Amino acid sequence: MTSIGGVGETNSSISVRGMWKVYGPKPERIVGSELADLPRKQLHAQTGNVVAMRDINMDVAPGEVFVVMGLSGSGKSTLIRCLTRLIEPTVGTVRIGDVDVTAADKETLLDVRRNKVSMVFQHFGLLPHRTLTDNVAFGLEVRGVDKTERRRKANETLELVGLSEMGSYRPHQLSGGQQQRVGLARALATDPDILLFDEPFSALDPLIRRDMQDEVIRLRHEVSKTMVFITHDLSEALRLGDRIAIMRDGMFVQVGTPESVVVDPADEYVENFVRDVPRSFVVPVEHVMRDVDGEAQFSGSVSLGTKVRDIVKLVASSELPVEVVDESGRQVGCVDRVHVLSLIAGSEP
Amino acid sequence: MSQAVLPAAPAPVALLGRTTTRVVGVAAVIVGIVVFKVTRQQNVPSWLDLHVQRHAQSVYHWIVQNTGRNWFLDAIKSIGNGITWCQKRGLTFLRLLHWTGVVALTFVIGYLRAGWRTATIAAASMFAIGLCGFWDLTMVTLSIMIVAVAFAMLIGVPLGIWSGLSESAERRLRPLLDTAQVMPAYVYLIPCVAFFGIGVPAAIVATLVYAVPPAVRLTSLGLRQVPVVSTEVGMSFGSTGPQLLRKVQLPLARRSVLLGLNQVIMMAFGLVVIASQIGTGDVGVRVLAGLQKLDANLAFSAGFCIVFAAIALDRITTGERSLKPGRPMPKWMADRRALWAAGLAVVVVAALSAKVLSVQQYPSWRVGIGSWAKSVIDWLDKHARHGVPLIGGTDSFNTFLVRDILIPFRSMLQSAAWWLVVGVVTLIGWVSKGWRLALLCALAFTGIAAMHNWDLAMDTLSQVLIAVIISVCLAVPIGVWSGRSRWLETALRPFLDTAQVLPQFVYLVPVVFLFRVGPTPGMIAAVIYALPPGIRLVSLGLKEVPLAPREAAISFGATPRQELIKVQLPLAFKSIMLGINQVILMVLATVIIAGLIGGGALGLEALGGFTKPNIKMGDGVAAGVSIVLLAMVLDRLTQAWGNRSDQEDRPT
Ligand SMILES: Nc1ncnc2c1ncn2[C@@H]1O[C@H](COP(=O)(O)OP(=O)(O)OP(=O)(O)O)[C@@H](O)[C@H]1O
Ligand SMILES: [Mg+2]
Repeated sequence: MTSIGGVGETNSSISVRGMWKVYGPKPERIVGSELADLPRKQLHAQTGNVVAMRDINMDVAPGEVFVVMGLSGSGKSTLIRCLTRLIEPTVGTVRIGDVDVTAADKETLLDVRRNKVSMVFQHFGLLPHRTLTDNVAFGLEVRGVDKTERRRKANETLELVGLSEMGSYRPHQLSGGQQQRVGLARALATDPDILLFDEPFSALDPLIRRDMQDEVIRLRHEVSKTMVFITHDLSEALRLGDRIAIMRDGMFVQVGTPESVVVDPADEYVENFVRDVPRSFVVPVEHVMRDVDGEAQFSGSVSLGTKVRDIVKLVASSELPVEVVDESGRQVGCVDRVHVLSLIAGSEP
Repeated sequence: MSQAVLPAAPAPVALLGRTTTRVVGVAAVIVGIVVFKVTRQQNVPSWLDLHVQRHAQSVYHWIVQNTGRNWFLDAIKSIGNGITWCQKRGLTFLRLLHWTGVVALTFVIGYLRAGWRTATIAAASMFAIGLCGFWDLTMVTLSIMIVAVAFAMLIGVPLGIWSGLSESAERRLRPLLDTAQVMPAYVYLIPCVAFFGIGVPAAIVATLVYAVPPAVRLTSLGLRQVPVVSTEVGMSFGSTGPQLLRKVQLPLARRSVLLGLNQVIMMAFGLVVIASQIGTGDVGVRVLAGLQKLDANLAFSAGFCIVFAAIALDRITTGERSLKPGRPMPKWMADRRALWAAGLAVVVVAALSAKVLSVQQYPSWRVGIGSWAKSVIDWLDKHARHGVPLIGGTDSFNTFLVRDILIPFRSMLQSAAWWLVVGVVTLIGWVSKGWRLALLCALAFTGIAAMHNWDLAMDTLSQVLIAVIISVCLAVPIGVWSGRSRWLETALRPFLDTAQVLPQFVYLVPVVFLFRVGPTPGMIAAVIYALPPGIRLVSLGLKEVPLAPREAAISFGATPRQELIKVQLPLAFKSIMLGINQVILMVLATVIIAGLIGGGALGLEALGGFTKPNIKMGDGVAAGVSIVLLAMVLDRLTQAWGNRSDQEDRPT
């Protein structure tokens, strides 16, 4: 992924190196020792420790949406909380922009949390004793913004998520979907560079969840923020992620683009995840493209990156291959009907 | 396995099989009886006597002689005087408000916190105090209480915050709080009288100290119940520690802190009226005088003043306004400051109008509640002493309870060799939870022996056990019934609600007139006092049994009886044991207080300690120590029974 921000803009990427989190007594001695390789249950019975995260390395480029996926208990929440040290990592370094978060003193850390990063929580985490406006204004309030200013900004942000006029309600008067909109507004109100989402939509029903995902996609296009997005829902990961990391027992077992994860799962665990995904939904045409071999006639022309399922109509309407062009319209290859069909049927071309 | 986290040693009973347990139990009882017969009348040997009486008495004399000469004693004394100064100002303030202002203030607080209904009930209760005839004396009680509560909150809330936020603080405070919770009121008065002398300062300080633990406990609990995610939200936006506390944790703990305030007020009230025995000159004194002169009219009138004050205070501190879902908070309600200002204005107007209309003194309207109660008592006296079918009448009951139950039981305890009693209690402790509890029981009862008031302790213990048995026999069936029957629950609720806020002291009034002086009224009062929480916890326990297992039982064709016995009762066991634990502590507290009305035993000794410190301080201190030790053992044992069912269920 390349940087979207222009030259001179601060580099707001996240970079994590060698990060471990071990719960329980004397966690340091577990890191990197043979103990860490024991099965979970045995380690817990023997020492009382749980290795929630082991040797995590990751880089998130500015403007990228980095999705972390895994089963319950795989350490996703731990990971995302360690990024701003809501949970202290046992070892390892986290850099956010040009700040070494893990080495930062109290002021720097507060500055990062107040101005650079905001988080959206799984169960919304709205404060029940505050009105919606004051919930959204919370981040500004701890930052020390005065009352009228922060309320104005909060109401503006509420409008952005479609909840204008409801500022004086209390959280419990809202539906789950509305509550999470407030959660999103609260994270946006401080105008951070980075947004962290910890399974924000998993408590919502499917239709509302889709709405909210659209909201995130819209945000990405409009404000271009760096996002780390935790989910255990594959279709959500595929919809939103520029890259997906699959986590298991505290480790990344695979990191890659959606199509690489679907097409080329690193192990059985990942394969189990992606087995039911129709490949044509995620795989782009370049995956089934071949060089042009003298043909001059095509049934149509599509650009690089088009998903295979979107050319199904074209290849069905004619025997001819489909031309593939790059951004500048230059021909780079073509796709045959047989390759599209075999991809859909599940066998490699 | 996850059990490895909880290294709980199973109770010895759990290790033995069920049959073995029974055989061993029967054998132990037989051996016990034989040993009891053979070793009767072995008194506590003199080498065990710690001479606490003598030492405590001389410490007291030293304190009395050195007051004014020793900086430490003077410092304590001036603290007491400072607090008393506050109380005097408080009383002046209440008098300045006049009765109109006080009633209006009650109404305003009730209205702003909960709404019309609560406000009306509270204000009417406050108004009724005057109708009973002791307005000004009740204001004295209130002023003492308000000051004690204010200081208790000032001390308790910060301590609660500390222990709510820090594990180590919680660990350090826990044993103190646990002990404080089981100590009966008299125990607090003894040391206070030793340092402050007889009078208002001792009463306020005792009340204050008595009321701090619930403030600490509930504040800490409130903070611990703040959801993790809320704290994380606070931190994730970069709150500093104090910001987190002020903007997230305390607001979310508010309900619990307010509940703590309610408890603090009710406990303080309970102690203040008892403290009237050291000359606070408040309404409790009138109750005492009525009891001593057997003047039913006086005792009941003054007693009802306490009842009404308690109801008013309870109402205005428990209510909570609730928002209707789907609508925002009305604008006029959102501006709290303006609301309170308006309320204040109402109070001021009310106070001034008393002056303008020159009704500063509470008018001479009276309701003859005392004389009405007296005529009921007189009627009962005449008609219910003897020959009532089934129960036989108060007198016959009195004789039966004392002659046929208490005295035989008491003399059995007293005549048993002291070490046998210690041994039996230790054995019970061991069986209940293992050697730790056994050790505690052994030490505590040996400690009681060392206080040189063994016979008195056995007297108290016998009264407590009999009252507990009666209470449990009543509370469990009633609780079970009301846990399964909606109408009974609804019918009982107002009684239970009211009974729970009344101080123990007022229960002494009716029983003295019905059963005369002696141990019976104390035990009966203890039963009446302990019943409501007992009933409530039993019925709550039954109702909290999840529906799923009950439905499962019914689907297998269980009759309601089977469902109760096989499903509900076992699952509610813990809650029922908690109820019994509460019953025991409340019975003990009341039996001690009943020393005042002829219950004798440790209660009377403790009473002497703070009413006649010059000659009885030593005895009082020794009795106080015995009471605390006794309370601790009873508390731990019943708690252990409540937790035991867990261990038996655990697979090994
Ligand atoms: N405070 C803690 N003490 C001990 N172990 C913990 C603690 N917090 C989490 N764990 C353990 O660490 C592991 C990872 O937890 P984490 O909450 O990060 O998982 P997750 O992937 O977010 O799961 P979910 O999808 O259920 O939210 C789990 O096995 C959990 O039991
Ligand atoms: Mg999680």
